[in-house]
Amino acid sequence: MRFLKIAFRNLLRAKRRNALAGGTMAMGTAALVLGGGLVDGIARQLTQNLVAVQTGHVQVVVRPETFVPQNSPFDAYGQRHLPGAVALAERIEREGKAVGVLEAVPYLYGRGSALAGNRSTLATIIGIDAARDGAIARVHPPLAGRFLPVDDITATYISGAMARKLRLEVGDSVSFVVQTPQGAVNSIDAVVCGTFRKSAPWHDMTFYIPLAAAQSLFDWPGGGTNVKITLRDGSPAAAARMVPRIEALAAGIVVAKGDRLHVEPYDRAGRFAFSIVEANRSALVVLSTFLFLAAAIGIVNAMLMSVHSRTREIGTMRAVGMRRRGVVRLFILEGVVLGVLAAASGLLIGGSLVLYYSARGIAMNTFTLAWMAGGDRLFPVLEPASAAQAVVAIVAVSALAAVYPAYAASRLEPREALHHV
Amino acid sequence: MCEVLLGVWLAAASAAATPDAVTILEKAERSVLGEQAAYTLRMTVVRPKKPERVVEMKGWKKGDALGLVRYTSPPKERGTAYLRNGENTWMFLPAAEKVVRVGDKQNFGGGDFQNSDIFRLSLAADYDPTLAGEETVDGEACWLLELKAKDRSVAYDRVRYWVRRDGTYFPVRAEYYTISGKKLKWLTLAAVEKLGRRARPTALTMESALDAGAHTTLRFLTIDDDVKLDDRLFTTSALERGE
Repeated sequence: MRFLKIAFRNLLRAKRRNALAGGTMAMGTAALVLGGGLVDGIARQLTQNLVAVQTGHVQVVVRPETFVPQNSPFDAYGQRHLPGAVALAERIEREGKAVGVLEAVPYLYGRGSALAGNRSTLATIIGIDAARDGAIARVHPPLAGRFLPVDDITATYISGAMARKLRLEVGDSVSFVVQTPQGAVNSIDAVVCGTFRKSAPWHDMTFYIPLAAAQSLFDWPGGGTNVKITLRDGSPAAAARMVPRIEALAAGIVVAKGDRLHVEPYDRAGRFAFSIVEANRSALVVLSTFLFLAAAIGIVNAMLMSVHSRTREIGTMRAVGMRRRGVVRLFILEGVVLGVLAAASGLLIGGSLVLYYSARGIAMNTFTLAWMAGGDRLFPVLEPASAAQAVVAIVAVSALAAVYPAYAASRLEPREALHHV
Repeated sequence: MCEVLLGVWLAAASAAATPDAVTILEKAERSVLGEQAAYTLRMTVVRPKKPERVVEMKGWKKGDALGLVRYTSPPKERGTAYLRNGENTWMFLPAAEKVVRVGDKQNFGGGDFQNSDIFRLSLAADYDPTLAGEETVDGEACWLLELKAKDRSVAYDRVRYWVRRDGTYFPVRAEYYTISGKKLKWLTLAAVEKLGRRARPTALTMESALDAGAHTTLRFLTIDDDVKLDDRLFTTSALERGE
């Protein structure tokens, strides 16, 4: 306690010097907190999007045995017919409730063309059970009109980007032309019931239609491509534990020759999203390294100057009996105190910025940024663990940076130090 | 008694005069290009609010399984070629000097015809025809054939096909329907002229039901029915060499 008081007093004796060093660390902490908030925001956005729209926490899909992931967001979708997808989803939901399944929802993913007037575009056509797939409505809230109605098989809910491209408004007609998996050409007409705001860029080409309409369009009665399963415990560990149980429930499904049924936890199914998160975290680590270096250099510099200007004081302390160990402890404690004060300031600044932008969002105005963030707006998140990590790291760097100056101070010979001018 | 015999004779004569649906279909398919032919044609692709695109090409056909088409104009497209051999279709890209496999159902040259339409894959092989009656189309008395796909892998679930009843067996119109019953596109055959040894429809126009105003016309410029074609012409190596 005595040493702590002395440390505080010593820091206050060189206000400008320590304020500059502390200010550097505070900015570094703020940058880390903000950076962590951005990375956590991207992770949350991508994961929520992935779980709600594509995979659930666990998904059942059929893939060809020769399937090689392309590191694309579309890898999460099934490429082949999952026979009896609707019945399988009902069974999983019914028999899985006791072991943590909240819901199991089938859908059908396919590709084709959408035509309206003289305009046409490639389309991602997804047939969903609108009555049960509320997650999609939450992730893709309507910009105009309404979400897919449960009682209208001719409706389609389209992305705002597609509405602009095809010049469609609510109530307009659009035709879909697809090639069925067997090879025939098929087509249906639909009426736009609503458009949803832009989210992840890979949903820009999406048209949602009722599952029954998609089954008819792709000539797959009762079938689908994915069953996405939502769990009470949405952690990757819980999802991994659920896989064998779901595999047991899906054991009776017979797939075509050359295909294989897969039950995948979302961190495996959504490799693309998780690879973005990992890339962002790696970038943050690199940024952090440079910030720590800058902070450390600032501390070392400030404390070496402190040692120089307090040479006689150190000589006096040694002369009255303070051991080298005590000198080292004192200087390191000064470093720690400076680090704590700076980290607290930085946390306040950085945390305020995160909370400010988490309410408003940050526009991701370019194509690349939108892909990196998984949407056209990014909402940072203040995760206590990430903020604590930044604070602890800066305090640790500050303490470590004080070691050399502390050691240098402890090596001063009292006789020489007392005579220092 | 005489009336009965006369009635029976008239019925028999009438039945004999109307061939069965399969015969009508097979004769109609041979009426434009025969078993073997070499030809030149012009393809005009029309899209609303866009300039017309005109491509001229030379083609060779041997039976239903072998076909080759090579673009001769405009200069930037010269050398592009398509080859049909059995179940497979390839495309040669002169800029890349590369042969790539393409699907039957992909569109041909950016127009409204598919590759399978160009290479005249036999409708008789893919469809079960039924004689559905007689109609007049563009002033011509025609048989109407209803063609139902033999299986779900065939591009169009149903085709309505009108063939002239005047002994020429020229097809006049074809309408293509999807599994859902939607009419997707239709083909009209017109401009009957003598090309080569005989008269035949020389203008084939495909229109899309989904894209109002869009259509593609194939106009035969020359047809040689007397060619004897070597199977080696219909190989990927010949395609690359530009033979």
